[in-house]
Amino acid sequence: MLHLKPHNLLVQKTLTEALEAYNNGSPLTLDRIISDYDYTTLHITNDDGDKSSLLVSIRTKATQSCNETGSDLKGFLEQKFEEAPGLALSGDKKEAGYDFTVTVNLSQITAESIVQVSLFKILVMSYPFYLAFGQSTHFSQLNEVDQVEKSKEATAMVIKYRDDENIYIKPSFDRVTVIFETIFQDETDKVFGKVFLQEFVDARKRNRFIQSAPQVLFSHEPPLEIQQVARQHASTAADKKSSRRFITFVLFPRHYASDELMFTSISQLALFRNYFHYHIKCAKAYMHSRMRYRVDTFIKVLNRAKVDDEGESESRRTFTGRKMVY
Amino acid sequence: MSQSLRPYLTAVRFSLQAALNLSNFSSQEVERHNRPEVEVGNTSAELLLQPMHIARNEHEQVLIEPSVNSVRMSIKVKQADEIEQILVHKFTNFLEQRAENFYVLRRVPVPGYSISFLITNKHTETMITEKLIEFIIDFMEEVDKEISEMKLFLNARARFAAEAYLEQFVY
Amino acid sequence: MEDWRRIDIDAYDPESGRLTVDDLKPPYPHILTLQELQPAIQQLRSYTSSGDFSAAVQLITSEPPYDADEQAKSQYLTGVLEVLTQVRQADIANIIKQLDRKQQDALIKYLYKGMSIPEGQKHGGILLAWFEKLTQVAGVNPIVHYLSDRRTV
Repeated sequence: MLHLKPHNLLVQKTLTEALEAYNNGSPLTLDRIISDYDYTTLHITNDDGDKSSLLVSIRTKATQSCNETGSDLKGFLEQKFEEAPGLALSGDKKEAGYDFTVTVNLSQITAESIVQVSLFKILVMSYPFYLAFGQSTHFSQLNEVDQVEKSKEATAMVIKYRDDENIYIKPSFDRVTVIFETIFQDETDKVFGKVFLQEFVDARKRNRFIQSAPQVLFSHEPPLEIQQVARQHASTAADKKSSRRFITFVLFPRHYASDELMFTSISQLALFRNYFHYHIKCAKAYMHSRMRYRVDTFIKVLNRAKVDDEGESESRRTFTGRKMVY
Repeated sequence: MSQSLRPYLTAVRFSLQAALNLSNFSSQEVERHNRPEVEVGNTSAELLLQPMHIARNEHEQVLIEPSVNSVRMSIKVKQADEIEQILVHKFTNFLEQRAENFYVLRRVPVPGYSISFLITNKHTETMITEKLIEFIIDFMEEVDKEISEMKLFLNARARFAAEAYLEQFVY
Repeated sequence: MEDWRRIDIDAYDPESGRLTVDDLKPPYPHILTLQELQPAIQQLRSYTSSGDFSAAVQLITSEPPYDADEQAKSQYLTGVLEVLTQVRQADIANIIKQLDRKQQDALIKYLYKGMSIPEGQKHGGILLAWFEKLTQVAGVNPIVHYLSDRRTV
C-alpha cells in the first residue's frame, strides 16, 4: 500500500452496505462513529423515523480555519454535494457537536455519490485550495503591473488542521505556494524525517520523469511567503520551535488547469502529512523487524559457543550399541 | 574485508584470547559472594589487570578491562552522522533489551561506548572460549555492516516514497 | 549526612589488607622527572630526524621509562608515537624481528597506551599494523605479559 486513498474507506463501505440492505427491503439501523486522519470524526446515523435516509456528520479540526479563509464554505459544500444525486447538505439542522451534516437519500444515491460522501473531509479542506486557485487564475488575467501588485497583497490562507501544525496557502499570479508546517515529536522521527524530506527535495532534480511535479523546498525557518502569518499562528515555545519543519510545494498553473487536476492535486496535498509520516513509521517498523532478525542470527552464533552437554564423545556405548547410563 | 579492518579485528582477537583466562574467584570482601571483580571497582586493585585500548580511529574503539574472574569489553561503533548515531543507538538499545538471550551482553554500556559485554568465568566454563571470541568478532563485523545497510535502506525508501508521491502530480 | 549504610568502612581501616593501585607499583628508589628524562627524549628525536628507526625502536624498548612520573611518561610517549607512525609498513616486520622478548613486552605497552590517547587514535591504522606484525612474531605472549605487568610506560 504505497499511496493513501483520499476517500474514507469505512464510510464508503458502510454506505454501500446500507444501500444494499435498503434495496433488499431490510434497511439497516446505523449509529457508527468513524474516525479519519487529523482529528476528524464522522458520524453515520439513521434519520429519525425515515428509513430511506441517513445522516452523515463530520467534525474536523480544520473546519474553523477553513471557514475563516473565505466567505462561504457552506455554500461551497452545498454545491459540491448537489452535483451528486441523493445528497444534500442539511444547512440548518446539523447534528449537535458536529460541523456539517449531509442527508443521504438511499432511494436516489449512486456509487459516485457514496464516493463523494466518503470524501467529506477532503472536501472541507479543499475549500481554501479552490479559493487560492481561483485567485491565482484571476491574477494571471490582470495586466502585468497589477499581477505583481495583487500577488504581493494576497495574504496567505491558513488551515489549522492539527494542534500545532498548519497548512499555509499563498496564491500568486503564476503559482500557488502550499507550505506545510510539521512537528516531529521524537528524535528518531526528526532524523528520519530529514532524510525523507531531503529526498522529496532532490527527487525532482534527479528523476526527469517527474520534472513536471511541483517544486519542493524544505526549511527550518518559515519561508518568506508566510513569515507574517506564521508569526501570528506558530506557537513560540522553544522546544516546539526546534522540531518545527517547513515543507513548501510550489504549484504551477499546469497543476490546477482544470477542475479534475485541481481536485487530484488537492486530495494529494491534503494527504501529504499523512503519507509522509506514514512512510517514516513504515521505515521504523521495517527496521524493527530487521533488527529482530539480526538478533536471532547473533544468538545462533553465540549458541555455537555453548558446550554441548550431549556430546558424542562423552556418551559411551556398550558393545551392542546401547548407551551407557551412569 | 577492508584493509584496515583486518588488523583491528586481529588485535581484538588476540587481546581477548589473552584476557579470557578466567578462574573462579570468591569475593574477598563479602563472604559467600562471587562477583565479577571488574564491576566492583575500588576494592582490591590486585584483582584488576591492565586495561587494553584498541583503536582503529577516533570513532571506532574497543576497551577491554580484564580482571581475575571477569572481562568487560566495550565497543564504540562508528557513527559518522546523525542518522548513524540514531541507528546505532536504536540497534544497541534493541540488543540490550534482549540481554538475557545473549548471556554475555551488559545491559548498560560503559560511558563513552556504544555497547558492552561482560564475560565471567561462568561463561568461559560453559562455552568454548574460541567460539565466544568468534561471536564477538562476528558481532563487530556485522554491526558495521548492519548499520550501513540500514542507512542505505532508509535513503532508498525515502527516495522511493518521494518519487512515488511526486509522480502523482505528473499529468 | 549521606546514606550511612553505604559507607565503605573498610576503606577507613588501615588493617583491612586492601591493596590500592599505588600499592601495586614496584618500589622505585627514585622517580624520574621530565627534566631527567629529557636526554632520552632528545636521543629519540635525533634518531627520528636521521631516519634511523631501527635504533630508535631498540632504544625505546630496551629502556622504557617505568620509573618516570606521569608528565615525563606522556612526553616520552609522544616521542615514541612519532617514531612508530613514521616507520614504513614494509619495514615494521624487520624491526620487530630484531627485538627480544623483553623488548616485545615493552613495545606492546606503547601500542596499547598509544591507542588510548587521541594522538595515537588518529594513527590507529599504523599502530594496529605494528600490533599485527608483533603478534605474528610473538603470538599472544606479550599481551599476557602486558596484562599482569604493573610497570607502565
